[in-house]
Amino acid sequence: MRRRTMLFACVLGACALWISTAVAGTLTLRYSDPDWKDIRAALDQYERDNPGTKVALDRVSPADVMPQFLRETAVGTGPDVVQVGFVQVKDLATAQAVLPLDDFTKPQKATQALADYVALDLATWKDGKVYALPWTTDTFAMVYRTDLMQKAGITAIPKTWDEFRDAAKKVHDATGKVGFQFPFGSANGNGIWFAANYWWWTHGQALIVKKPDGSYGLGVTAADVADDMRYFDSLLKAGVTPKAMISVSNWADPVIIEPLVSGDAMSTLVPPANFKQILVEWKERNPNGSDPPFISALVPEATAPSVTHAGGRSLVINANTPDPKGAWKLVQFLSSKKMFSDYYKTQMPAQKTLLKEIDFGPLLQGYAEQLQRARSWGPYAEGPVPIPMMWNETARDFGSVFVGESTPDQAAQTLLAAISKNLK
Amino acid sequence: MTAAAFATPRRVRTDSLVTWLLIAPAMLVLAGFYLYPTGYAAWISLTDLSFLHLRQGGDFIGLENYRSVLGSAAFWRVMWRTAFWLTAVSVAVRIVLGLALALLIESATIRRYRLRTVLRLALLVPWATPHIVAVFIWRWLLDPQVGTINKALVATGVLQQPHAFLADTSTVWAAIITIIVWNSLPIATVSFIAALQSVPRDLQEAAALDGAGRIAVFRNVTLPHIMPTVAIISMLLVFWTFNNFVYVWLTTGAGPGRYTDVLATDVYMRGFVDFQLGASATIGMIMAATLALFGVIYTRLLARRALAERL
Repeated sequence: MRRRTMLFACVLGACALWISTAVAGTLTLRYSDPDWKDIRAALDQYERDNPGTKVALDRVSPADVMPQFLRETAVGTGPDVVQVGFVQVKDLATAQAVLPLDDFTKPQKATQALADYVALDLATWKDGKVYALPWTTDTFAMVYRTDLMQKAGITAIPKTWDEFRDAAKKVHDATGKVGFQFPFGSANGNGIWFAANYWWWTHGQALIVKKPDGSYGLGVTAADVADDMRYFDSLLKAGVTPKAMISVSNWADPVIIEPLVSGDAMSTLVPPANFKQILVEWKERNPNGSDPPFISALVPEATAPSVTHAGGRSLVINANTPDPKGAWKLVQFLSSKKMFSDYYKTQMPAQKTLLKEIDFGPLLQGYAEQLQRARSWGPYAEGPVPIPMMWNETARDFGSVFVGESTPDQAAQTLLAAISKNLK
Repeated sequence: MTAAAFATPRRVRTDSLVTWLLIAPAMLVLAGFYLYPTGYAAWISLTDLSFLHLRQGGDFIGLENYRSVLGSAAFWRVMWRTAFWLTAVSVAVRIVLGLALALLIESATIRRYRLRTVLRLALLVPWATPHIVAVFIWRWLLDPQVGTINKALVATGVLQQPHAFLADTSTVWAAIITIIVWNSLPIATVSFIAALQSVPRDLQEAAALDGAGRIAVFRNVTLPHIMPTVAIISMLLVFWTFNNFVYVWLTTGAGPGRYTDVLATDVYMRGFVDFQLGASATIGMIMAATLALFGVIYTRLLARRALAERL
């Protein structure tokens, strides 16, 4: 009887030891972009380099990253390391969901290294601490099908918004193809938010500005918003963009990518990863070695030069992680030079020194130039209005104009009223 | 000695205690899984809790959220879409089509050709399809560029050019309702088939012998007999549809603009996009109160049916 009890206790102890070892050595990384296989390959290497450490790769859609992570951290759970948008870091710091990285970066070398990262302002909260390590950076740029432009007799890349609309119309009229394939939808995580802001910024305006007294306010009038709405609505009305695009919200949607690959659309506005996807698919279908009929170029300008947002992803460490050191080690590996050279080739690193080493090549030259002109979301992220709220509201009100539910003037008033309410 | 002689006050107390002990586990489960979350949501609706301050909690603001939500014209537009388009129209369509389909499957012609089993099995296909799969199949079917429906309509000359069903305010609700009906029509049909099979044949035959036509037999004999089932299925469909989030969110994301924003999507957007959990919980409580009204009606219908069966 005693022997049986001893045996049972031993088995139980062995199980407990195995479980505790397994749990202690396991980290979880949450990743939301489509190129997760590259990340998995890198994590496999990390596991080989660090025997006894396992890294689980957890995936959610980009639109669900924030709500999911906030829900988890509020009850003391969640993945150890999470990939988030640059502009989401401050909200996560406000929610006390992430660890400040200052303790890890205290050694002088690491502090100096932090200065090498872009968008560090968006990773720094009001307490002066850094809550995320910028990981990848990108922005949107125009992508054109040069063969369709040639067919329509267009020889130069449109410089202004009006020139762009005229060129897209000309191609549409001459070839019957789509002039501008872009998601005009209103759903969560939509693309029209970016286009609307580029239009404002290139007109010397901004939805949110920091006032001289340090407070935040609106940097556009209802007339400015209505003009922006009218411009994009005119693309739909002119047939330059198919009306079906009103039901598409994601710029990575196959219905955005496919027409560019197949030659059914003249232009789109996407981040570099999506342009690379277009190029890969085009090359797969055209294995004869001919030059791809694409060019990337600056976003149109107006009264101010072309400007887009400095976008990208950061890595944050969950405030509830049982292994902060292990999580930081993983973060360092993920943002290492080897990671970008060997595994994560579709994305651009957020370190300025590594960015300089990138050979963009002639096709991606537009992105290289656009990145030089990209601005930080700055006051948008620092101000009191949550960016997801403005993002959602802007697209809803633009959408109500696109479907004729509201006039541009009515929708502009609605948008500004909603944002003003949150500014108070 | 009569049974009443045993019903001493002590015995009654013991019985009562045993009864409470027996139902206590179920009551605890109900309290833990239903009462506590409802009470917590009611409390949140009285605060200004933000999604970013879950650890700190919100401040008590009384009925301010209710004043703000109920005083907003936008909320009543959302309520109208939920009550009319999402619920009333889609439930009515499912009841009418479900009944028609049940009558067809139970008809003499279908029996004669021995097609009942095939049709019943075919009915299970949409029912067995998960909501998310159903929505994505239909989104693909309705797509203006690659969608089969558009291709068929253009090929047959019904449309001159493909139509963006989900981007046009004149067709977007019809498209959503089509998806809901396709996915959940079988529950109505199967229930009506069962009800039709319980209608006494001799009553129908007696009415026919008395000279009643098919329509008269249906109206005066069949329909009154299956009416309790129709009422209960209608109520259940109202419950399942009124607070449904999946169909609208996955099909349109509450767009274009806010054209298909319903209460469930509004709860999500206010809570998890705008970070206003207090306002979100307020709408949730209003939804719960509305459904509770339907619940009372449903319970009464069930009670009436039970009484009718006993008589």
